[in-house]
Amino acid sequence: MPQDDKALLARLCQSQVDFVIVGGVGCVLHGAPLLTYDLDVCIRLAAENLYRIEAAVKDLHARHRLAANKLPLELTDELCARLKNLHLQTDLGRLDCLGEIEGVGDYGNVLKRSAVIPLAFGKCRVLTLEALIEAELAAGRDKDVGAVRFLRAIKDRPKSAGRGRREKSLTNFYVNTR
Amino acid sequence: MNGLYVCPADAGPGWREAMEAGIDMSLIESALEQTPDERLNEHQQVLDFALEFQRTPTFDASR
Repeated sequence: MPQDDKALLARLCQSQVDFVIVGGVGCVLHGAPLLTYDLDVCIRLAAENLYRIEAAVKDLHARHRLAANKLPLELTDELCARLKNLHLQTDLGRLDCLGEIEGVGDYGNVLKRSAVIPLAFGKCRVLTLEALIEAELAAGRDKDVGAVRFLRAIKDRPKSAGRGRREKSLTNFYVNTR
Repeated sequence: MNGLYVCPADAGPGWREAMEAGIDMSLIESALEQTPDERLNEHQQVLDFALEFQRTPTFDASR
């Protein structure tokens, strides 16, 4: 199965989904040299937003990845009211849409602790470095411990290691949305 | 590798901890010199390679 994070993100942007990039791809965007096999985003848990996600992946044979019967994604108002997360397998890879991020909170809290960055296909929100560290620490899995090590190093990077020269901390790319 | 790496004097504790854990700090330094798009693209290249490698049939030593 392929995993095309850029294509998935571009589709979420095009469908105007309210989301914040978290997890491994968030770490990569901040400069962590790690490998991640899925795309995690925190989403606003509202029916209209969930339907936008469905529209974004409608031609990608999206299925509920963690359900025993791997049911196709077919949302209803009743299902939208019950959903807390969407763990999807699509033709473009795995897409995990999470209603809450451990250590940070629900979409409202995640949104407050996110920043807008420009990508080739449009502007996206990503969790800040400090919030990502808190989220990875709260998750506490072996792979998260490794990610925290990278993120803390980036947070405490030496000025002489590139700051003000060629270094491009993600904060240099934050877009002022006020 | 890190035996040759000279930690900058102004490095914070997180940087030092990573270095002492044996992380090749040049990986982080080079990532920090990239734009977010470049970081995503490089990650995609490594991911494509890893997924392709996983699809490769295991080498049969008996042959």
